[in-house]
Amino acid sequence: MLAAQVLINALVLGCLYACIATGFSLVWGVLNVINLIHGSFIVLGAYLAWGLYQSLQISPWYALGIAAPAFFALGYVIQRLILNRVITAPVLVTLTLTFGLDLILNNAMIYYFKADYRKLTLTPPMGSVSLFDVVVPIDRLIATASALALTGVLYLILRRLRVGRAIIAVRLDRDAARLMGVDVNSIYAIAFGLGAALAGCAGVLMALIFPISPLTSTAYLGKAFVVCVLGGLGSVSGALAGGILLALIEGIGSALIGPAHATTLSFALLIVFLIVRPQGLLGRKGFE
Amino acid sequence: MARSRLTSRRLNSLLLAVCFGLSASAALAQDVVKFGAPLPLTGPLAPEAIKQQQGYDLWAEQANKAGGISVGGKKYRVEIVYADYQSNTPRAVQTTEQMITQNNVNFLFGPFGSGATKAGSSVSEKYKVPTIASTASSAQVYDQGYKYLFGTFTPNDTLTTPLTQIVKAKAPDVKKVAILARNDLFPLAIAQEMEKSAKANGLEVVYFEKYAINTLDHSATLSQIKSLAPQWIFVTGYINDLLLVRKQMADQQIKAGVLSMVAGPAYQEFIDAAGASGENITSAAWWHPAAQYSGKDIFGTTANYVKLFREKYKSDPDYAQASASVSGALFQMAIERAGSLDRDKVRDELAKMNEMTFWGPVKFGPTGQIDSLEPPVLQLQGGKAVVLSPALIKQGEFRLGVN
Repeated sequence: MLAAQVLINALVLGCLYACIATGFSLVWGVLNVINLIHGSFIVLGAYLAWGLYQSLQISPWYALGIAAPAFFALGYVIQRLILNRVITAPVLVTLTLTFGLDLILNNAMIYYFKADYRKLTLTPPMGSVSLFDVVVPIDRLIATASALALTGVLYLILRRLRVGRAIIAVRLDRDAARLMGVDVNSIYAIAFGLGAALAGCAGVLMALIFPISPLTSTAYLGKAFVVCVLGGLGSVSGALAGGILLALIEGIGSALIGPAHATTLSFALLIVFLIVRPQGLLGRKGFE
Repeated sequence: MARSRLTSRRLNSLLLAVCFGLSASAALAQDVVKFGAPLPLTGPLAPEAIKQQQGYDLWAEQANKAGGISVGGKKYRVEIVYADYQSNTPRAVQTTEQMITQNNVNFLFGPFGSGATKAGSSVSEKYKVPTIASTASSAQVYDQGYKYLFGTFTPNDTLTTPLTQIVKAKAPDVKKVAILARNDLFPLAIAQEMEKSAKANGLEVVYFEKYAINTLDHSATLSQIKSLAPQWIFVTGYINDLLLVRKQMADQQIKAGVLSMVAGPAYQEFIDAAGASGENITSAAWWHPAAQYSGKDIFGTTANYVKLFREKYKSDPDYAQASASVSGALFQMAIERAGSLDRDKVRDELAKMNEMTFWGPVKFGPTGQIDSLEPPVLQLQGGKAVVLSPALIKQGEFRLGVN
């Protein structure tokens, strides 16, 4: 029964990891930008959910509807005004720029919200469901379903909508896309906006599960990074596969060799993947 | 020519102004006693540094409001010199040395935590500067044979032993303990002390594991603990870890006779964030605002200290802030008794200190670490931390059962 519980825990956690990583993966894959501000966007989303629930009693499910457009606009503006100026520069330049932006946003949050930990506690609490002694908390189940729905929406945008096809086109070959009449700068801004919207929504969902503090942003960013490398860059299904693989490794590793070594195990796997399969589980060669 | 005369006149007046300024500042410097406080004001330990700073500032403000520290009939204003060592221990050592050699501080407060305090104390000992460490509990900090180092935290086992004794007395059915510790200096040391206390009191430790810093999920670990059915679950970590563990315990419907968390329930942030799920969690800390001591220090009673703290910071103090404040108050008492700013005389007064304060009874043992304090055991009852022991400040009875 313990094995079944560990497996279910890992599947649910894996979907949450995927939710954290999808936006990061999109931005990295399309813009070739390692967006270090991603973790702080997630924390800001969590604060948004917390603030709306505490002050206006707006449920986190509705907060998703507010976070998505707000973070899209924020991401769009940051890309248009700042990142687009250096987008063709080597990856180290954009990396440093997003590092700087992250410092500003994170310290602004520490200044405004303080480094105290806060918790979004739904009243009444949602409780858990159990089947043959295997227990799954309902808030995690709903967050998982929402995470799957969000990644599904992104998949549909990329596959079905004109703007989605343009994003894919820019990702495959920026110059060819420009020659075909695609406004590349605008597509970059839209892709970054989508990445930010996904991060904001992930933050709203994480607020239900994890304590909220600006200091947690690096933990989210670290997970997003590992999930992307394991799953493959820029693909929605890759983020899902990477998230579940990471959660499984952590869960099984924690049960077998102790929780202190679970993180070591996941980073060891990261190194193995970087050497043996740098394109990740579902990524394609040449997309990095 | 006219221009150069003008310049030389200006130069003269500038020199004159500098001389006046120097003599004025020299006069001022005579009336000031300087305390150095190297703190990790930026970096991961910044929240802890801010707490210490709040404690020192409150003391300095109160001391200055009363006219300053009285030294041989003359009043000296308190000035605290802060320096940021960026949560980097080697830099804490450099900063301590700079404070002594460049800032010319009279006395020192220790940096944050046992590790940095131990490192910094080698410098303050070399220059024979009395230092009060307000956040170092490990006995290894004090067993170096140093004469000028004093500390306001008792050793870690003084937190776990009274807790174990209360559980053993009040909940005789508790036989199995599971211990989960954050893999970090202080949380791990407390967990190891808990393991010793449990074994010494005839309890079986069925689980002892560490979790990594920045762990985002404890579900696998908690499933394993649940399968072992311990009656007492003991978790150490910082507020975010403990909140997460508590939430995931409820998610997985893990129930236990006793749930202890160190040091979450001692902090108001934990109580606020945990809400109803915090009920009946036990903990131990070196001090708590619910304590009721009546001291001879500048703050007098614990209640008065809490009132002054609330007025200044609009929140309740915890043990970190109170320890910083009492460190200042102890220096003040020692200096006033020595009637001098002479470092050796003040050191001797600290060494023979045996006084009640708002922090509790203060007497430093032969190593310099306080040995008079009995840290309170706490339990969250009805959204409030209630003191279960020591008997002197007890407020309520232990309650069994955490859902």
